[in-house]
Amino acid sequence: MTAIENLQLNAQGKLRHFLSIEGLNKNLLTEILDTAESFADVSEQNIKKFPLLRGKTIVNLFFENSTRTRATFELAATRLSADVLSMNIATSATSKGESLLDTIRNMEAMQVDMFVVRHSLSGAAHFIAEQVTPGVAIINAGDGRHAHPTQAMLDMLTIRRHKGSIEGKTVVIVGDILHSRVARSQIHALKTLGAKEIRVIGPATLVPKEMADLGANIYYDMEQGLAGADVVIMLRLQKERMSDALLPSEGEYFKLYGLTEEKLKLANKDAIVMHPGPINRGVEIDSAVADGEQSVILNQVSYGIAVRMAVMAMAMSGQASEQATQKNEENLSAEAQATGDDA
Amino acid sequence: MSNLTLTHAQLLDPSQKLKQLSDVIIENGLVTNITPVGESTSKGDKFDAHSALLIPGLIDLSAHISNVATETSAAAKGGISLVCTQPNSKPIIDTPADVSSIQQSSAAANNSQLLPLGALTQGLEGDQLANMHSLKQAGCIALSNARAPIKNALVLRRIMEYAATHDILIMLTAEDYDLSANGKMHEGPTANRLGLAGIAEVAETASLAQQLLLIELTGCRAHFSQISCGRSVEMIRSAQAEGLTVSADVAIANLMFTDEDVNGFDSTFHVQPPLRSEQDRQTLLAGVNDGILAICSNHQPKDIAAKKAPFAAAEAGMSILDSWLSMMLTLVQKGELELEMLVNASAILPAKVLGINAGIQIGQAANLVIVDTTTETCYSAEKLISTGKNSPVLGETLVGEVKLTMSGGREVFRA
Repeated sequence: MTAIENLQLNAQGKLRHFLSIEGLNKNLLTEILDTAESFADVSEQNIKKFPLLRGKTIVNLFFENSTRTRATFELAATRLSADVLSMNIATSATSKGESLLDTIRNMEAMQVDMFVVRHSLSGAAHFIAEQVTPGVAIINAGDGRHAHPTQAMLDMLTIRRHKGSIEGKTVVIVGDILHSRVARSQIHALKTLGAKEIRVIGPATLVPKEMADLGANIYYDMEQGLAGADVVIMLRLQKERMSDALLPSEGEYFKLYGLTEEKLKLANKDAIVMHPGPINRGVEIDSAVADGEQSVILNQVSYGIAVRMAVMAMAMSGQASEQATQKNEENLSAEAQATGDDA
Repeated sequence: MSNLTLTHAQLLDPSQKLKQLSDVIIENGLVTNITPVGESTSKGDKFDAHSALLIPGLIDLSAHISNVATETSAAAKGGISLVCTQPNSKPIIDTPADVSSIQQSSAAANNSQLLPLGALTQGLEGDQLANMHSLKQAGCIALSNARAPIKNALVLRRIMEYAATHDILIMLTAEDYDLSANGKMHEGPTANRLGLAGIAEVAETASLAQQLLLIELTGCRAHFSQISCGRSVEMIRSAQAEGLTVSADVAIANLMFTDEDVNGFDSTFHVQPPLRSEQDRQTLLAGVNDGILAICSNHQPKDIAAKKAPFAAAEAGMSILDSWLSMMLTLVQKGELELEMLVNASAILPAKVLGINAGIQIGQAANLVIVDTTTETCYSAEKLISTGKNSPVLGETLVGEVKLTMSGGREVFRA
C-alpha cells in the first residue's frame, strides 16, 4: 500500500503518476476535482485548448480494446496541446511475442513524456511506472480488476455536480463487483471523499465478501439495497459471466438486479443513475431508466475529458517539479564538490 | 572422503538427544566419535568451530533444479547436505535415463548430494502412470508430480495402489485446480483490493481431504509437499492420529510471509502455493513447532525476465537455497520457531520421511553443518550463488553464516 502511495507522489506530495485512488488523500482528490471543474467550465465555452502540455508527447498504450476511454484521453491530451499517439497494442507488438517491458522500452526510446496505459492484468500500470525512466508519467486507464482511477474521478465529479457534494451521500453500486476495477476505484474515492454509506449489490458469485474490508456494505437484495440511495451506479454485465457459471441467465439477472423504473422508485426521489458504459440495455438497465430524467450517463462521458485533462496536467507538473528539484540538487552537489565544501 | 576433527562445536541434534559443546571425529567420511570438548584425540585435519552451532545437515524435500552444478553449490554454501529435486525439469524426470543423467551431474558437481524425484505420471500429464517401479530401481527415493495436476481421482487411486504394491513413497500436492481457477494469490482482502484472482483455502483442503481418504483406502506411504493452509495442518494431524502413514512439509516462504506482502504487486512474492493469511502462517508455525510439519525450500530459481512482468504474468517461485538456513534462523531469532524444531523440521523429519538415517550418528556418513548464529549475512544479488536472483531477502541482512557443510561424508563447503 505504501509502495503504491510513494510511487504516485513526488517528494512534495504532488501527483507524478496516476495509478490508483488508494493512497491519495482527500485534498489531492479534491484538487483533481477542482482542476477538472475549471477545465469543464471552459470546455463548455468556445475556446477548448490550453497550452499546458505544449511540446509534450503522450502515447496511449491500449493493450485492451476501448473506444470511449481512449477517445476521451486523446481529446484531453489534444486540448492540453500535447502531441498524441494512440497505439492499439492488443493487435500489434505483444501478439508477436514481445514482452510488456520490451514494448515500454521501445516506446520510451521515442522520447515520450507520458504513457496512458490500459491493460488486462491487475498491476500493469504500477509495473510500468516502476520500470520507466524518471520524468515519464504513467496514467492508469484501467488495469485488470484492480483500478480505473480516472473513471472513478469522473464519477465523483458527476456526483459533485449533480448532487452538490459527495459527503453525506448514500451511493449504491450494482452488478458485477468481482470483476470491476471501476467499483474498486469508486469505493476508495467515495470513502476518502466522505460518502455516508457505500453499498454493493449483487449475487454472492459477483460480490466478494472482502468488499466489506474496503468499507462497503454488502446487499444481496436489490430492493433493500436501493432504499434511501442518493446515487445508483449500474455496472456492465459481461456476457461471459454466464459461461463461467457465475450466473444462470441474463433473464434471471435482469429480474433480480436489472434497474427498472419501478425499482428506481425505491431510491430517494432525486437519486441520480450512473453507468460507466457501454450499457447493455435490457441486461443491467432498462432503456427507460438509461434515457430517463434521473440518468446522468451522458454527462459522465463529457466530464471524463475534463478529469483526464486534470490528471494529465497535474502529473506532468508533478514530474517537472521533481526533475527540477533533482537537477537543482545535482547542481548544488556539483558546486559543493567543485568548491570542496562538505555541506 | 574426509578425515576431519571438529572441535569446540555447540552440537545440537534432537534425534540423538545431543546438546553440548563437543568434538566430533570424522574418519574416511564416517562419524567415528562424539565426545565432550577436549576429551578426544584429534585425527586428521582440525576444524575449530569456535563454539558455533553444529547441527545435522539440512535435507530439502523440494527444490526445482536445472543447473545442477551451480544450484548444488548454492546448497552446499547454504548448509544443505541433501536436496530432492522435483521432476518438472527439462527434460522431465520420468524415465530411468533421466534419473541417471541427474545422478551423474550430481556426482560430477561433487557438491551437496542431489536426489532426483521421479514423475508419478508420464510427462507429468496426470493421465498415464510413469514406470514407477523402474524409477525406484533407478534410484528415485520418492516419486512426485511436482505441482502438475492429477485431475482424475481414479488415476490418483491407481497411482496409490501401485505405489503401495511396490512400497514407493509418493509426494503429493493438495490443490483442486478447478477450485483454484487459475488464481494468482491467496483469496482474501488483499487479493480483492489488488484485483488479483484469488486461490481459496478450499482449493487446498478439498483436495487434501479427498487424497487422505484415498490414502486410507490404498494404504500407500504419502508425503504432502508445500501445504499452505492452517486447516491442512489439522487435517494432517488427525490423519496421523488415525494411523495413516502421511507426512507433510511447508515452504519456508509460507512461514515468513503472508498475502499482505503482495501489496505493491511485488512479483517476488508470486509463489505456488500462495502466501496465505497471518492466521495460516501462525498455524503452520505451530505445526512445525509441534513436530507435525517439515520445512522445505521450494527453491525455484528464475531468470530476471521471468519476474519482470505484472504480478499475474510473472512466473511463480522464489530462489531460496542460499538463504534457507538464515531464513529459518530469523524465525528462531524472532521467537517464532524453536531452534530444536528448526533442526527437526529441516533435517530429522525429512530424513524420516525419506527413510534414511537421521542426525549425526557414530558409524554413519557425516551429514552436518556448522553455522555461526551470531554473525550476519547480507544477501545481495551478486553474493547469491544460485542462478535465480529472485530472492525474497535480497538486500537484507539475516542472522547466520555457514562455516562448514558435509554431505555424505564429503566436505562440500568451508567458509
